[in-house]
Parts: sequence; C-alpha cells; structure tokens
Amino acid sequence: MTAITYMWALYAREVKRFQKLWLDTVATPIMSTVLYLTIFGVIAGGRAVSGTTYSAFVYAGLLGMMMVNSSFSNPTFALILSKNVGTIIDIQLAPIAPWRVGIAYALAGFTRGVYTVVIASLLTIWFIPGISIQHPLTFLIALLLTGLEFGMLGVIFGLIMKNFESLTLVMTFVMQPMIFLAGVFYPISTLPAPWNTLSQLNPLHHNINLLRYGMIGYTDISPLISLGVIVGISLILFTIMNQVASKSLKQ
Amino acid sequence: MLALEVSHINKTFRTKKGETVIANDDVTVKIEAGKIYGLLGPNGAGKSTLISMISGIMTPTSGSISVFGVDALTRTVEAKKMMGIVPQEIVTELAFTVDEILHYMGGMYGVPLAERKDRIGEVLRDLDLEDKRYERARSLSGGMKRRLMVAKALMHKPKFLILDEPTSGVDVALRQKIWELVRRMNKEGATILFTTHYLEEAEQLCDEMTFIHHGRVIKQGKLSDIQKEFSENVVAFELYKPNVPHLPGVHKEGTEFHYPVTHLDQDMSAVIKHYGENLRSIKSAAASLENIFLKLTAN
Repeated sequence: MTAITYMWALYAREVKRFQKLWLDTVATPIMSTVLYLTIFGVIAGGRAVSGTTYSAFVYAGLLGMMMVNSSFSNPTFALILSKNVGTIIDIQLAPIAPWRVGIAYALAGFTRGVYTVVIASLLTIWFIPGISIQHPLTFLIALLLTGLEFGMLGVIFGLIMKNFESLTLVMTFVMQPMIFLAGVFYPISTLPAPWNTLSQLNPLHHNINLLRYGMIGYTDISPLISLGVIVGISLILFTIMNQVASKSLKQ
Repeated sequence: MLALEVSHINKTFRTKKGETVIANDDVTVKIEAGKIYGLLGPNGAGKSTLISMISGIMTPTSGSISVFGVDALTRTVEAKKMMGIVPQEIVTELAFTVDEILHYMGGMYGVPLAERKDRIGEVLRDLDLEDKRYERARSLSGGMKRRLMVAKALMHKPKFLILDEPTSGVDVALRQKIWELVRRMNKEGATILFTTHYLEEAEQLCDEMTFIHHGRVIKQGKLSDIQKEFSENVVAFELYKPNVPHLPGVHKEGTEFHYPVTHLDQDMSAVIKHYGENLRSIKSAAASLENIFLKLTAN
C-alpha cells in the first residue's frame, strides 16, 4: 500500500460526505446559478460583449464562480464541522502526512466543484443559444487548477477557523468582494479606476478569465498571464496549507 | 524487543496568563512487546498528554519516543501505521453509517479494499455490533459508540494498541467485554497500553504498570513486585482452635492472626509447621493496588 492509497481513502470519504448531503452541497449552488442566469438574462438579454452575447459571457463567469465557491466551501465546512464534533481526531491519528491530508480535502473540493458545474451545465446550457466550448483543454486545465487552488484555500481557512461564525466573516469580507471584483458579471475593462486596477490584482479574476477563455474564447488579458498567476498562487497556497496543516493537526 | 520506549519526556504548556504548566516531567517508560501495560494516575496526572505525544498529535518539549524502534517524533507516519488508538472522548461522524466509518478508517490505515468488507464483519462481530453495521453512527447508544471507537482502532490489526480510559463511563457488561477483547488482542500478539483510573481494571489486566502523579513517574514495574514492595509484611492465617500456644510475634486481627514476615517463604513454612492441621486458611497479606495508590499519592 502506498501513501497515495491512504490519502485516497480520505479523499473518497470526503467525496462521499458531500454526495450524502447533495441537497446542500450540490443542489443549492445550482439553484443560485439558475436564479442569477434568469435575472441577468431578463435584464441584459440582448446585449453583446466584444462579439459574444452577454448571457454567454455571464454564463461562463457563473460557472467559474460556482467552481470557486464549491471547491472552497467543501473543505472549509468539513474541517470546521469535524473540529466542532471532535472527529478531527481521526485525521490527527491517521498515518497520513499533513500535506496529503490537505490535498485529499482540496481534491474533494475540486470534485464537488466539477459535480456542480457539470450538473448545472447539463440543466442550463440549453438556455444559452449558440454556446460551445471553444478551447476544451484550456477549460479543463482551468477547472482543475481553480478547483485545487480554492480547495487549498478552503483547507487553510477550515483549519484556522474555529467556528462557522468566523467562516461567515471570511465569506462576507474576503470571498464575496473577490467574486464581485473578478469580472464575473462584466468585463473589467468597463470599470472606472481604481476598480479596474484592483480587479486585475484580484487573483480570482485570472481564474474567471481563463475559464471564460476556455469556454467562449473571450479574454480580458492574455490567458498565459492568467495561467501563470494561477499556478504561482497555487504553489504559494500549497506551501501555506502544508504549514498550517502541520501545525493545526497537532494539539 | 521494545514496543515502546519513551525517554525523558518533558512537556510544558504556557497558559494565557503566561504561567508555565508542567504536564510531563522527565517521564521514561519502556514496554516490552507482547505485554499489557497500564498507565495509572488520578485525573489530570498527565496520562492523556503522554498518550497524545506517543500517538504523534502532540510534540514533546524534550525527550524521545520510539515505537518498535521507529522514532515516533521524526518518522511519525511510519510509527502511526503500527498503532491503533482509542481516544478517551467519544466522537461520532454525523453523516455516515457504522460500515462507512469503518470502511474509510480501514482505508486510511492501509487495509486493502478487497479485505475491508470481511475485516469490518470480524471487528463488528468481536464487539457485538454486527446488527448495527448499516445504521447511522449518531443513532447508536453511548456504549455502542464507545465500541465503535474501539472498532475503528482495530481495523488494521495494530501491533500496538493504545486505549485511553477505554472503560470510562461504561456499564459492567461492556467493561468485561472490553477486557476480554484486550486479552484476546494481546494473545494474538498485540502489545497493549492503556490508561485508567480504575485500579481494579489494572489489577485484572496488566503485566506491568507506571504510576503517574503531577506529571511525574512515581512508581513503575511488575504488579507482583510493586505489591510485594508495598505488602503489609505479614502472613495472615485463621485457626480452627485459636487458644493454642502461638509463635512469638503473632497477634490477633479480627478473626485472623498476623505473623510478621522477614522472608515470606520461610516464615510461611514456619507457620504451617507450627500450627499443622489446626490451620483453617493462610495467605500473605499483599497490599491492594488501591492502598498502594493511596500511599504513593499521599504526599
């Protein structure tokens, strides 16, 4: 048995957890996306953004937002819950290195993100006329990296936060502003200064940009720059996650 | 071979007020493979802190720990693979069934997928939980949850089983069941370390033991040696006819006569020779573990 096998069991457990709670973990974000699409579809149905329809533009952004939210919240909720009910002891005692624990949780977050994106796409893509995936490989790479990146961020917050109240603060003051300044609902070039510059500095913007490029071919800045930023931030998050996990999984 | 070697372990904590609390002070414990070893002490003595350091979830301030020769502080993952640990506190996964909990726990300890189903059956049979296999763990009673905690630790057939207060708050029948399981695991080759403040339990199960008080080792060794050291140094006997000439030094204690001992075997023989068929019963008045414990912790 290799170390990956031990880690795989933890990953499988966390996937099973969100599958069991599918109404909360999968159905709820899909419902939110449908509502966003309906509202933005009605308000700006006929508008165009640089050669693509506004609904296709928003749709790609919403799928990216769903990926980010799902992969972030899955490890965060699971870890905070396990700390509150005491089952974190099972992870502390298990013969799995802290960084592998983090990756198992992050991968489970990524998997939940893929579940929600795939199901949401199957249910809603019919409402976006003429949409197709322009660069499938880029889209898949963007999905994988975004899922892992925000999965790792979720692990970090899940290990640091002591309760759900603290998590609500993080969601309100960190995640929401990042999402709203990431160009999910509009091209960031249309923003006045300094919001335009702030949006470019927002790491999440690069995830949305790369996903959108992969899906509909639209891009605010070079996809290669976005890819570089995502990889760089993922490496930084991995280092932080390893340190936080090594410390937090001890008493 | 040593299953566990804890050498000169110290653990200090700093409180929010900046005071230093010593949880373990120069603790050394050596456990031979194949033994059942007891770690005894009152609440707050430092037993659970020591267990946490052995199981790799707490780092000692200084000292070393090795499990079957593997340095548990630097090669933690390798050491953890050999251990099965039953924590003191009962914790239950809310979303999963008993079967699912054991399935994933087995996986996290390297039990191959093909063997896991059978192993879950075995463990649940051993702990009388077979009929609860597909029930949600949160719906189990307190005693069943305690058994599930033990089952989780047994999934990978550990070489070294650590039980932290395993019978705390359980009924008599379950306590007997856990004792039986500990003995069976030991017969099958596992080394067992358990903490308890039930001295009767230690007397029933342990080959050797360590007494901890205020974070320090105050006594350790074989139960028989400790009892001998603290024995009341008398041969106690009863007679059919009490009004006979007695050996010098014999005095009456209730229905018994006590004879002071200098060499137990010789003095017992002297009593048997002197009273012959008049002896109704004879025993060496060994000190109970409870008395030893009270004497050790008196100061």
